[in-house]
Amino acid sequence: MRKKIFITISMLLILISYLTFNDFKGDWALRNGGLDNLMTFFHESLWPPDWSVLQARAYPVCERDIGLFCSIAWTGMIETIKIAFVATVFGFIIALPISSLAASNLAPPLVSLIARTTLAGMRSLPSIIWAILFVVVVGFGPFAGVLAMTFYTIGYLGKLQFEAIEGIQNTPLEAHRAMGMNRLEIFIFVVIPESANNLISHMMFMFEYNVRHGTVIGLVGAGGIGWHISNYLKFLQYEKVLALLIVIFLTVVIIDLSSQFVRSFFNENNDSRNKSWFSVFLPANTVLSIKEE
Amino acid sequence: MAEVLLSSRDLSIGYESALIEKSNFEIKEGDVIALLGPSGIGKTTLLRTIFGAVEPLEGSILSNIQRRGDLGFIPQRLGLIGNMSVASNVLNGVRVKRPWYQSLTLGLSSTAKEQVSTAISSLGLEDQSEQLVRTLSGGQQRRVATARTLAQNPKLILADEFLGELDEDNIELVLSSIKKMLEANNSAILMVEHHEDIAQKVANKIWRIENKTLIEQDVGDAFEEVSS
Repeated sequence: MRKKIFITISMLLILISYLTFNDFKGDWALRNGGLDNLMTFFHESLWPPDWSVLQARAYPVCERDIGLFCSIAWTGMIETIKIAFVATVFGFIIALPISSLAASNLAPPLVSLIARTTLAGMRSLPSIIWAILFVVVVGFGPFAGVLAMTFYTIGYLGKLQFEAIEGIQNTPLEAHRAMGMNRLEIFIFVVIPESANNLISHMMFMFEYNVRHGTVIGLVGAGGIGWHISNYLKFLQYEKVLALLIVIFLTVVIIDLSSQFVRSFFNENNDSRNKSWFSVFLPANTVLSIKEE
Repeated sequence: MAEVLLSSRDLSIGYESALIEKSNFEIKEGDVIALLGPSGIGKTTLLRTIFGAVEPLEGSILSNIQRRGDLGFIPQRLGLIGNMSVASNVLNGVRVKRPWYQSLTLGLSSTAKEQVSTAISSLGLEDQSEQLVRTLSGGQQRRVATARTLAQNPKLILADEFLGELDEDNIELVLSSIKKMLEANNSAILMVEHHEDIAQKVANKIWRIENKTLIEQDVGDAFEEVSS
């Protein structure tokens, strides 16, 4: 019986996807030769990457021994990481009390609804739109980036946090309520410790996410490496754009690896300490199935 | 004359339909009450109704327990915080006896530390005091939940099958600690039990739920066969 239901639902989903896909009216003929165009663009404009972005800039004059530290790639990337870090910390601190009001197992339904709507509102504007708004308010530069990313982080992290809080077992909450703890005490002494692993894990994820998105908000003038990418795009210097994209990719991989290491300390089973390096690139279940074979 | 801590008037409890109807009971200081009955008959629901997690269907509960922290609760699944150490869990018992604004900084107070360490050592958990609760065995976790209640020192304890998973020695250890606390504080306990022999051994009253009725029976002195 269950098998039949599963097959029926799967068939229905495939049918709906097919019908929906058919709704996209497109001129498929235009796509002919698209791959060739991409290859031409790649060979003529992108490749090879221009690694001069790793050399010290002519101005301002570099006062360091190693030129790399004065390069556009280094200064831009460090600024992006700084923006992401500050925004993640601020966002985490502000999101935590809001998420406690949004969690249905802690707050009355009306309060929960208001808090959820607030978070949804902050999340529904992508960080690039927040960046445009804050560039208008405070001008170009990393400060606008920090504000934009903090607002988006509150919306996104708040949702992850209240879901983590709702996922904790009811028994500790009920026991401490019965013992006489008030809402604030329950939040501090029961909810935060119970959901700490998830909260920290989500914060690390958000930091990675913000580093990646830091490049996007830079495009509208909110500082970081994206600002330089935006300038190179304007002057059609795609080789330099590619070099910066590679730098971003390597940074994200390094952050991903270190965040996995940090998160392993908060993992209940401590089972992710010795994962192989390629697990960063492959989904966890794929790695597991390779090991089992 | 023992003071009445809690009483009910024509109390009916349950969720969609009544599990217990029109019951009138009293819990007095010094009472050790064992609540017996098969699974699903309403024992846990009665405890949850007493501390307010479930609204009564009819009737009312009159409580003379007004001070914060004077009601202790050991749920069947213990309600411990797995990510915290044994000592931090027990400290939560001390916290609820203080005003909430003091409880925020309580971990630093030497009196609180002393209360926690007394409760922990009376249940033989000294070696585990810094260990995370989730790394302990089921039996050890039960002792931590009991230690939390000992540190709280409430006037009335509601305990839901809190002796399960304990071996005989540890049952004796837990019961004697509870006995000491109840006698020192003239407190009462209402404990859900499945084992008639334990109920007979420790309780001065046995409550049974039969045909949606709460039947009360006096069975002599409390903790007759439990050493101090």
